[in-house]
Amino acid sequence: MRDKFTRREFFRRSTVAGTLATVSPSAGSAKPHPPGWRGDTRVATIATNCEMCFWRCGVLAEVANGKVLKLEGNPDHPLTHGRLCARGNAGPKLLYDPDRLKYPMLRVGERGQGRFKRISWDEALDFLAERLAELKQKYGPESVAIFPHGVAPAFFLTLMRAYGTHNMAEPAFAQCRGPREVGYALTFGQGLGSPEPVDLEETKLMVLIGTHIGENIFTSQITAFAEGLSRGAKLIVVDPRFSTAAAKADWWLPIRPGTDIALLLAWMHVLIGEDLYDKEYISKYAQGFTELAAHLKEFTPEWAEAITELPAAKIRATARAMAAAKPAVALHPGRHTTWYGNDTQRARAMAIVTALLGSWGRKGGIFLPTEIKTGKFALPAFPQPKRERADGAGTRYPLASEEQGVTNGLVDATVTGQPYPIKAWIVYGQNVLESIPQRPRTLEAISKLDLMVVVDVLPMEQIYYADLVLPEATYLERFDMPQIAQSAKQPYIAIRQPSIKPLYESKPGWWIAQQMAHRMGLEAYFPWKTPEEYLETLVRPLGVNMDVLLTKGAVAFPGRPYISDRLPEDGPLFPTQSGKIELYSPLLKQLGFDPLPRYTPIEEPPVGYFRLIYGRAPVHSFARSQNNAWLDALMDENVAWINEDAARDLRLSEGQKVILENQDGVRSLPIRVSITKGIRRDCLYMVHGFGHESRRLRLAYHRGASDTGLMTRVKVDPIMGGTGLRVNFVKVVTV
Amino acid sequence: MARYAMVTDLRKCVGCQACTVACNSEWAVPTGFARTHVHPTGVAGTFPHLVSSFYIAQCNHCDHPACIEPCPTGATYQSADGIVHIDRDLCIGCGYCVEACPYDARYINPVIKKADKCDFCWPRVQKGLEPACVLTCTAHAKFFGDLEDQNSDVFKMVYEQGARRLETSEVSIGPNVYYLGKKEDVDLVFASFPPHRPRLLRAGEVWRRYLRPLVLGAIGATFLGQAIAFFHQLRVGEDEFEE
Repeated sequence: MRDKFTRREFFRRSTVAGTLATVSPSAGSAKPHPPGWRGDTRVATIATNCEMCFWRCGVLAEVANGKVLKLEGNPDHPLTHGRLCARGNAGPKLLYDPDRLKYPMLRVGERGQGRFKRISWDEALDFLAERLAELKQKYGPESVAIFPHGVAPAFFLTLMRAYGTHNMAEPAFAQCRGPREVGYALTFGQGLGSPEPVDLEETKLMVLIGTHIGENIFTSQITAFAEGLSRGAKLIVVDPRFSTAAAKADWWLPIRPGTDIALLLAWMHVLIGEDLYDKEYISKYAQGFTELAAHLKEFTPEWAEAITELPAAKIRATARAMAAAKPAVALHPGRHTTWYGNDTQRARAMAIVTALLGSWGRKGGIFLPTEIKTGKFALPAFPQPKRERADGAGTRYPLASEEQGVTNGLVDATVTGQPYPIKAWIVYGQNVLESIPQRPRTLEAISKLDLMVVVDVLPMEQIYYADLVLPEATYLERFDMPQIAQSAKQPYIAIRQPSIKPLYESKPGWWIAQQMAHRMGLEAYFPWKTPEEYLETLVRPLGVNMDVLLTKGAVAFPGRPYISDRLPEDGPLFPTQSGKIELYSPLLKQLGFDPLPRYTPIEEPPVGYFRLIYGRAPVHSFARSQNNAWLDALMDENVAWINEDAARDLRLSEGQKVILENQDGVRSLPIRVSITKGIRRDCLYMVHGFGHESRRLRLAYHRGASDTGLMTRVKVDPIMGGTGLRVNFVKVVTV
Repeated sequence: MARYAMVTDLRKCVGCQACTVACNSEWAVPTGFARTHVHPTGVAGTFPHLVSSFYIAQCNHCDHPACIEPCPTGATYQSADGIVHIDRDLCIGCGYCVEACPYDARYINPVIKKADKCDFCWPRVQKGLEPACVLTCTAHAKFFGDLEDQNSDVFKMVYEQGARRLETSEVSIGPNVYYLGKKEDVDLVFASFPPHRPRLLRAGEVWRRYLRPLVLGAIGATFLGQAIAFFHQLRVGEDEFEE
């Protein structure tokens, strides 16, 4: 019980910068820009936002005769200013993908066969409502779990809360940002949210630890990164791979994988040992400095050199460079941070370095969120689930987010039936076979289900295991909950509205949820008829002109990004339990974890094996975009980066097709070798998201290899349940 | 009169290919083709002192374009502001210009069966819009403007910051696409993607010097032969032929 209270308190405060809670869906009427011309065609221009990834850049859709002719960046968007990446520009090829899910389908063959019959929406929704009622009666509402991803499921989450289950988990936490959010919240009292509030544009020095900006494209983050560099900011990149960012770096530190905490401790050692930290800031805002200084005594750069394989002189030089630039140091907190299972502690170490440099809340460092107070509907209270969450958020994983959940915790519960059996999965916009590691375990879990429902735009591999498949409209055909971006320097509200009517029989998420609510007697939770009505209620307190919002697509508000801007209404600067930056974490101590970050060695690859590392390519998003014809034309398969010396030893040649076999004997699809100087010889790198198994994805099927398929092992972060994924080893098998 | 140019700042460019897709979308370029390409150089140097960058390729709108002369119909022409255009009504899709370009900036569009390439988004520029690639560039690394305008970004980048153009001693036709960046990066890009000797000029020359006279000669000879045969027949009469 002791932990329960501190935990809740922790999260109440740590989600200030988080995204919207489940109570607020969205809407808006498609009020087009004044018509323009594309060639000889008169076009209407609809302002909306992108969903080719989850940065939600501003988009203008040019529409004529019910067809989207082009997507262009929206120059009026306060964050992205008309810029759009390759994926954003390729949106029409998702909309018009011939492989889209077109109508509701009911399974007729065995699970895995992928044989379905076409049914009507009425049949589909009646079927689902009946099955959910049965499950509730037989096993309790908590036996139904939902795996959402992105914005579209928001209304469905409301529906499921109203139904009575709190078992919901998206990979954005336990396979992605979770450790970072928790590590920073433990230190500063709040996490970071998305878009990341990193002041790259105004900084004097950027520090990227494994963050591959340039290959991971979030439009405005790239703009700020490039703008910062061109204004003269220095760049430190810590990465075992010579990434796009490393090629721009003043210092590239090709670190031995898994030893980042040692480097961070050595940096702290130099900052404190050489008296280079921001003394005024630390004495004013932080607690635990004495304990930290004592803790760091032995962690010299020489100690770290032996561990990280980085020269001590370089560790010192980079620490001094940071000190010289302080407080304008943008140490990027990262985004996908579930690497080795000690990830919350690594995030803590990064947060502590940030604090020592006085960069949190300062220009050129990490800036602060500004709250936007939106309107709300007076919904009835959600029923209180009778049983604890099945994913372990708050229990097994004491600091896991209850808003985002622990996907792997739900898989475990489904396999083991503990703490109680999970009987149904509703998978909504998430690809459980590509986003959650340990695929065999996920398939085992699915085999135990009475009901599996998939709501999606494309026929991803998981539909082969679904009993019911519901075709969702793409982001260009639907209203969604608007984005309330509080972590932008200038906070803003941005809408998603349809450019054209949904194609085929696809339906928007809000409609599916609303229809289900009517069938399940839960319509009180949906006290609005149209999405426009919903949006109006939401924005009413903001004094925003609806017409402006609908035409411009977004409206920004003044931000208060730096400590010097803050007003009393912004609340405490550091909403930790102590009200100060917690260099030493009493909460971690209380929960039985290291209150100060400590380096512990991770397992090394056996002889003949590489550590499997992975990342992103600029033209693809996770496993979502490989079937997009324009993006496929630019990159139709991933390759395995192998160090040139290692490749010579293995007698590999450039472009040769090989198979990767992991430590458990699991083999990949064939993948081409890319021989490079740009990677350490102890690791092998590949872009995530390839090697699709769904035959219905006619472009993506069996192109390249899946890194997720090779992740049969994970190291779970005991603090928050995140799955460390860089603990798998592969060897190269020639074919 | 304006003189248009494009500058890519390689310090900023991350090779994300937003430009490629925006351009494809803007101009309905068939899938698998492009008017603007992004080519990574690969990694050079010695570990850990490595270099890599990106070559952003498009039509250079050269001062002395290699693509105009070989065009048999006059479809390719240059306007006074330096932009090299293709008149689609005149283009017959023969592909000589494609061969001629030392930068491989042209392709034959298989849908319309005509040559196609970047025109600095002239229809957009006329309307006061930026070229599609410039607007979309995530790194804000592409700049378009008038080199005659001393206040333009491109003027400053070219004449004050030392942006360079991709030329060699062999191929020097005055490209108007410039690259700015760390010397080692620009050097690597230039060394990795040198323009090839104008196959185009050679193709054009072959057309002008040999093929065209030959074809005209052949046409002439055909007429002549027909005429001779006709008069011969008139003179000799038909009964020379046997059943």
